[in-house]
Amino acid sequence: MTDRPAISVENLWQVFGANAASAYDEASGGPPEEIAAKLKAQGLIPAVRGVTFDVAPGELFVVMGLSGSGKSTLIRGISRLVEPTAGRVEIEGEDVLAATPKRMIELRRSKIGMVFQHFGLFPHMSVIDNVAFPLKVGRMSRKERHDKVRPIIETVGLAGREDAYPRELSGGQKQRVGIARSLAGDCSVWFLDEPFSALDPLIRRQLQDEFLEIRKRLNTTIVFITHDIAEALKLADRIAIMRDGQVVQIGTPTEIVLNPVDDYVREFARDVARGRHAKVGSIMQGGTEGIGPDDPGLSPDMTLEDALASCMKLYEPVPVRDASGTLLGAVHPKDLAKALQVEQG
Amino acid sequence: MKTLLSTTAALLIAGTAYAADLGDTSEPIKLAINEWTGQHVTTHVAGEMLKAAGYEVEYVTAGMLNQFQAIADGDITATLEIWSSNVSDDYAKKVEEGTIVEIGDLGLDAKEGLAYPAHVAELCPGLPAWEALKDCAGVFATAETLPMGRLVDYPADWGTPGAERMAGFGLPFKAVPAGSEGALITELRAATEKKSPLFIVFWQPHWAMSAYDVQFVDVPVGTDECFNDASWGPNPDATMDCGFSPTRIFKAAWSGTEEKWPAAYEILSNYQLAVEDAQPMMGAIDVDGGAVEEVVAEWMAANEAKWKPVVDAATK
Amino acid sequence: MTTLDAVDSTPWGLSPKLLAAVVALLTGAICLLLQPYAPWLFAFPAGWTVPATEWVGTTLEVVLNAIKPTMRLFSAAIAYPMEWANIALAGTPWPVVIGTVTAIGWHLGGWRMGLLGFVGFLFVLLSGYWEESMNTLSLVVVSVPLAMILGGLIGLLANEIPRLRAALLVALDAMQTIPTFAYLTPLLLLFGFGPVVGLVASAIYAAPPMARNVILGLERVEPEVKEAGVMSGATRFQQLFLVEIPAASRQIMVGVNQCLMAALSMVIIAAVIGGFDDIGWEVLLTMRKAQFGQAFLAGLVIVTFAIVIDRMSARLALERKRFDARISWGLFAAGVAGAILLWLTGVSAPPEGIFGGVADSVDTALGDFTAANGASLDSVKNNAMFYGLLPLRIGLDEAVLPFTWGFQWTSSMSLWLFVAAGLGGALLALTGRPVAGALLLIAVGILETGIANLPWPFVLVGAAALAWLAQGPRFALVVTALLATILISGLWERALLSLYLSGAAVAACAVVGGALGLLAAISPMAWRVLRPICDMLQTIPLFVFLIPVLMFFQIGEFSAFLAICAYAIVPMIRYTQAGIVSTPPELLEAATASGASQTQTLLDVRLPYATPVILLGLNQTILYAFAMLVIAALIGTTGLGQSIYLALGQADVGLGVSAGAAMAILAFIADRLVQGFAEERRKALGLA
Repeated sequence: MTDRPAISVENLWQVFGANAASAYDEASGGPPEEIAAKLKAQGLIPAVRGVTFDVAPGELFVVMGLSGSGKSTLIRGISRLVEPTAGRVEIEGEDVLAATPKRMIELRRSKIGMVFQHFGLFPHMSVIDNVAFPLKVGRMSRKERHDKVRPIIETVGLAGREDAYPRELSGGQKQRVGIARSLAGDCSVWFLDEPFSALDPLIRRQLQDEFLEIRKRLNTTIVFITHDIAEALKLADRIAIMRDGQVVQIGTPTEIVLNPVDDYVREFARDVARGRHAKVGSIMQGGTEGIGPDDPGLSPDMTLEDALASCMKLYEPVPVRDASGTLLGAVHPKDLAKALQVEQG
Repeated sequence: MKTLLSTTAALLIAGTAYAADLGDTSEPIKLAINEWTGQHVTTHVAGEMLKAAGYEVEYVTAGMLNQFQAIADGDITATLEIWSSNVSDDYAKKVEEGTIVEIGDLGLDAKEGLAYPAHVAELCPGLPAWEALKDCAGVFATAETLPMGRLVDYPADWGTPGAERMAGFGLPFKAVPAGSEGALITELRAATEKKSPLFIVFWQPHWAMSAYDVQFVDVPVGTDECFNDASWGPNPDATMDCGFSPTRIFKAAWSGTEEKWPAAYEILSNYQLAVEDAQPMMGAIDVDGGAVEEVVAEWMAANEAKWKPVVDAATK
Repeated sequence: MTTLDAVDSTPWGLSPKLLAAVVALLTGAICLLLQPYAPWLFAFPAGWTVPATEWVGTTLEVVLNAIKPTMRLFSAAIAYPMEWANIALAGTPWPVVIGTVTAIGWHLGGWRMGLLGFVGFLFVLLSGYWEESMNTLSLVVVSVPLAMILGGLIGLLANEIPRLRAALLVALDAMQTIPTFAYLTPLLLLFGFGPVVGLVASAIYAAPPMARNVILGLERVEPEVKEAGVMSGATRFQQLFLVEIPAASRQIMVGVNQCLMAALSMVIIAAVIGGFDDIGWEVLLTMRKAQFGQAFLAGLVIVTFAIVIDRMSARLALERKRFDARISWGLFAAGVAGAILLWLTGVSAPPEGIFGGVADSVDTALGDFTAANGASLDSVKNNAMFYGLLPLRIGLDEAVLPFTWGFQWTSSMSLWLFVAAGLGGALLALTGRPVAGALLLIAVGILETGIANLPWPFVLVGAAALAWLAQGPRFALVVTALLATILISGLWERALLSLYLSGAAVAACAVVGGALGLLAAISPMAWRVLRPICDMLQTIPLFVFLIPVLMFFQIGEFSAFLAICAYAIVPMIRYTQAGIVSTPPELLEAATASGASQTQTLLDVRLPYATPVILLGLNQTILYAFAMLVIAALIGTTGLGQSIYLALGQADVGLGVSAGAAMAILAFIADRLVQGFAEERRKALGLA
């Protein structure tokens, strides 16, 4: 693995309206808020405003925001389903926005997979044909592509339903087809646009777990869009919070929960039972001085809740060790309690 | 349909005229206006004469073929230019049941026959003799009729005189019904513009006769012997090897007309219009674009001697 | 492929489609083999027919005479509003009429609508046909309420008494598919001569869209809204008029809009009878003289009315927003002031037309074009006839002649053709497409025989097989019975000719219209060009197009074919375009994200998704083609259309009504077949 980010987005702008590009060119220079104000004054809609972030290879990067915050537009800009107004997008070192239409088609067939909120299944094709569609348009023969996608259909748990039509499937099954289709092209970059939002909670949880399973095996780079903070915290390596077309904070789930940059982000974290998400590692101190005699056996990936439960009666810093027993640092029980209180407040 | 144009006749005053009651002058007399200009002239002249006699007159547009029900019902009082070659069965039925009465000829000689635009004579030398057609059927052939030539016949609802003639003369032509008068005229116009061959069934007087320089094919005169006796005529094995039977142009009225408007009935019965009078009026309308009312009013003012006596005879 | 819903199980484990194809194929093959021994399989013997047209005529005449007095009373009663409307419209000075239309336009849709009304009616004024146009409008003004009442009643009846519903729907179909010309004669007999006949004819034709929209609107009222009405203690009458009809008002207004357009399209047909100096009569007069420019000008007046009425009534139906009434009153006042001004200066009569010169030069241009391109036009026609229409009508065995194709068709050629087709069919069957194989054989058989020469058992069985596939066994029985009726009434040959001509036109429209629709869907530029052309083709009186077609290609099938296509192609273009454009964006995104190219997206996603909509377009195209058959008879086609004209000319009630009914039967069968298949596709796509 190299240090080069798998996806690099730089100052991406998406402006809707007539002559958006030239209007943007005129307005550009200065902070995004100013540019956006100028554009809005002309009746244009700046949906994505100067977004910049990198995604490391193999990382699961979640973009979180309320509806209208520009997150869906952002992912469409990165995948070039809509043409961004300005900015730069690199996928595995390649400037995507400069790619020819032909090259884009190649990229989509071989490198990029995408899952849609409302599934986007073709009603006139059976499950297997839907899944094999990227291979079909890549001109693979019928037999070959069917052989290739059968294991994928199995992976998403739809074995035996290959010949069913979308109208015969439940919502959860439909999205499994959507996921299978996005995987058919052996993608190394995977975009998921609110894939579980249209499903009921029980199915959603189930699919999230299966998604994590699949992800473990595939080692792809993932950009995952959601409006559900619990989902973001559960899945993400890192989260970007969006508001009004701008990224207001990027950080690990713990950072987001414990150190929200502003009230907007804090609002999100309000309802979340932090203890279940924040890990011991996030409040661990590096030094070893002052460690008390007791060792309740904390590890960095333990949730705060669990950690607090195991040192309820302790008043001195306790050691934190990794799986092999190596001492990594220390946590003061009072910090644990404080971190958990913040969220309740 | 048919217009008066080239023949000549005089406005005749029937000798049987006698003064009659005007009848109910409060209710308008309704005259049918059909689809062709000649008929408009014929009708407007009659209408003006009735007005001069003291009647109220209304002109009602009516399809040539559909007007008879209206006349039978008294919704239309009279129609003044019926061609015997082109009258629906409905008319005969209505006359038979006594709801329509025929009220005499309009006084017009008409001619129908096999015809062609003048330029076709170059394409088929030997015309106007009908025998020439035997050898140049190929010239007139089209995709639908190959290998035979094409004859554009009357619309199917006017009968199939062309097809009967082809069988009668034994000419290698297939008769194709035209569908409508507009289609016939369009054929003439297109053939003239393109200088292409055209063999057609047509009639005079009609404005298109001169507009497209239409010539008749010379055939033996149509007589009853020819229509009934196969041995008669050039083809010993068939009837119909001759021209068309002479066409009458006549007038008809609602059967209650005489009782309701006695004088009007007499005027309409005695009314005749000469083509030499009608023709300039039609020219003024179709060629110079005049309105029929104005053209007729002008003619009425200038030719009082030709119509006044009919009105006077009936009313005084 | 999924199995069809209409068919549950089939014998011998064959798929329904294959079974249907094989049965039809076998019937055709047996007929062909038996041809030398049983010629009655091909030409239905005259001795087996019954004089149905005479029976119909006699029966109808008795019925008509019985109800004639009542109808004449109605006729007398309706003459009053007719006269009032006429006095109101023709008697009002033209500045007031234009001012009023502009005012209404403003009120409904702001300055754009106002301008549309103003410019539209100004054009009518300047065309020189003001009086005729006002007469036409007064006809529409009376016939539309009549059609709305009739349609509304039918709709309510169908809604209130579900048992009557199926029968009423068939009646609506009949009202729309029996050509008006077919029942003009009986109407004339019933109502007497005059505009009332045209009025009633247009009411009959314009009522069905109203009825259908009333039914649809009432059906779509939310159940909770209905229940709220019931729970409020409303009587059925109160529920209907206080709750359901107001709730359905939007849909009903759409019906009003369609009703208006239908009534307007009948104006020209009413003119054939006459009795009214209207704009349709002008079109007919100029048509007779083959004056294309002038006929076109008069036709454009009707188009103008159609556009103004359509846009304004659509606004009324779909937009709640209304504009300042004070400005409307101002515009109206301006009209009145203009009228007073004109009256003072003594020029109150509408002006002479100013487009006469333009019309003349259009006419001359048409003539010049014909003259200059005579030879190439002829060769277009000849090629189309020799290699397209003729083989389709009379089959290869009769159409292939030395002077057309360069050789004589022989029976050994037929044999070779069938052998080749048999091999092709077998190949298809062996590679897993037996249905396609059977269809190939059937197609070759039809081409060899010609549609006009098809053996009647084959047509019956083939139609029944299709009907079975589309709607199930009951419909197959209905289709067989209906076709048998045509067969024994002696109209079979003419029906086959009509079938051939409309079939050829529909096939051409499907291909060309489909391609144009596709083009319009992918290129907005093309749609911008095509759309106004479609609008015009649908509203201008069809007669107008007969002249240029005739000038170019003369009397005959090819001209009729083109005239039918000109009209029937429009729905195919519209529906194809609409179907493809309306593909949900998420499907398009999914296709793009899968790496599909534009072409692949079009072929693999957009087209299949649009199939049901395109099929509905095809359905409309078929109905339009049948409607146009009658008018095409004006340029000398044979078949049912000609019979209807013949009957009109001869006032033969029996023949007219029978031929009209035969035509309606063909249209009805085609309509239900295509609808069945469209419905199946919709279900397959999970849309229904």
